[in-house]
Amino acid sequence: MSSRTSSLHDRHVAAGAKMADFSGWSMPIEYAGGGVLAEHTAVRQAVGLFDVSHLGTATVRGPGAAAYVDSCLTNDLSRIEPGRAQYTLCCLPDGEPDAGGVVDDLILYLHGPDDVLLVPNAANAAEVLRRLSERAPDGVTVTDRHEEIAVLALQGPRSPQVLAAVGLPGELPYMAFTDEGGHGGDEVTVCRTGYTGEHGYELLVAAERAGALWDALLAAGEAEGIQPCGLGARDTLRTEMGYPLHGHELSREITPNQARSGWAVGWRKPAFWGREALLAEREAGAARLLWGLQAPGRQIPRPGMAVLGAGGAAVGTVTSGTFSPTLRVGIGLALLDTAAGVAEGAELAVDVRGRPQPVRVVKPPFVAPNVR
Amino acid sequence: MPTEVPDDRRYTDQHEWALVQGSEGAGTVVRVGITDHAQDALGDIVFVQLPEVGEEVSPGSPMGEVESTKSVSDVYAPVAGVVAAINTALADAPETINADPYGEGWLVEITVTGDDGDPTAGMLDADAYQALVDAS
Repeated sequence: MSSRTSSLHDRHVAAGAKMADFSGWSMPIEYAGGGVLAEHTAVRQAVGLFDVSHLGTATVRGPGAAAYVDSCLTNDLSRIEPGRAQYTLCCLPDGEPDAGGVVDDLILYLHGPDDVLLVPNAANAAEVLRRLSERAPDGVTVTDRHEEIAVLALQGPRSPQVLAAVGLPGELPYMAFTDEGGHGGDEVTVCRTGYTGEHGYELLVAAERAGALWDALLAAGEAEGIQPCGLGARDTLRTEMGYPLHGHELSREITPNQARSGWAVGWRKPAFWGREALLAEREAGAARLLWGLQAPGRQIPRPGMAVLGAGGAAVGTVTSGTFSPTLRVGIGLALLDTAAGVAEGAELAVDVRGRPQPVRVVKPPFVAPNVR
Repeated sequence: MPTEVPDDRRYTDQHEWALVQGSEGAGTVVRVGITDHAQDALGDIVFVQLPEVGEEVSPGSPMGEVESTKSVSDVYAPVAGVVAAINTALADAPETINADPYGEGWLVEITVTGDDGDPTAGMLDADAYQALVDAS
């Protein structure tokens, strides 16, 4: 099966990007003249531009669309007003195997009571849409816009200047969005959000208009030190923040309680998928919890490696790991058994291909965020 | 961007290079590194695990690892022998491999004992290695 490509694919290839498959989408990992470390640093210190069009987009529209979505997804829509976005989770409903496990994590844009936009992960977009469509009340329509809408992420301390230079509105509170963005007559939705830990924006634009916007942002950003960034840097940036990645820190087998994503659950809501299972687990205490691991040197914990406690007994598993370009050491995220009694500051080891390597247990973020 | 393949040394199909340094007592010292193609494919190298000096190595068995942010790649010994030296500068500056894979970014030196001539003679020459890269 050939990969799906972003509307910016030709630009990535022309820029010498290394392309790789992400959930069926051929996307840039890093750019020639950049590389993961340089791209990471650009975002922390200046500004970076990512194509994240592999992310899904879908609208849920019709009378009561928002209330319907609120009765399915975990976060509490009464916490936000129209014009705000919210991080939320789609969990497996009670009565299904692994109830409370996470089908996907996503960003929800609340346009109004009858109009919601969802941005799920590439791999899970179809499944989230299937589940929402199946149970949708009469008059509420779930529409896949994955191929129609491109998603760009402009991230870093200099991102407001770049946005202003192309005439897009950047004066937005954290997690607020506006459709007022016009770029050469094209409608652009600008949202103060991101996955890097820096001040930044995600821009939704019609796929056929994405190229012009990409070019304009790169040209306007030249004076600010803009760097096109691939998904390699996106991963090191999010790992430094301890942000979960579905398939690693969240999955059908890993609940929000275990991943410490309970803040994105509206516990007082009367209904959402997986509510009973998650309340019960919360009451009993999760059997495992997500922690950060920091190596004293450059040795890198990798996903799937066993975490070892005193005496070499396995106490958990690494879910993500990389080299922290900011700290210059290996960092990782790991699910650790609650029964092992691990606490912050504990000295454990990671089984790196047969060599136990020391790590210290920390509470992410590894690097202070600057999102606000 | 085409990667470099200098013709002063030999290559393995695992993307290591080997360059004879000279004789030392009864042995021949062979310097080993990874190729330009290998460093380019890995991306920014952030950690290198090297064998100990004095360790015996044999062809086809991993003697070290090179890690980028995203992946880990084994480094195989191209010749049988004893590790005579390791490039300790890589511990704090593994990015040297990206910058200068055939020079300052070398990994280890292996002493090959025996008097059978050039221990790298059986390996790929630059043209053969270039052909292998082109075909990949």
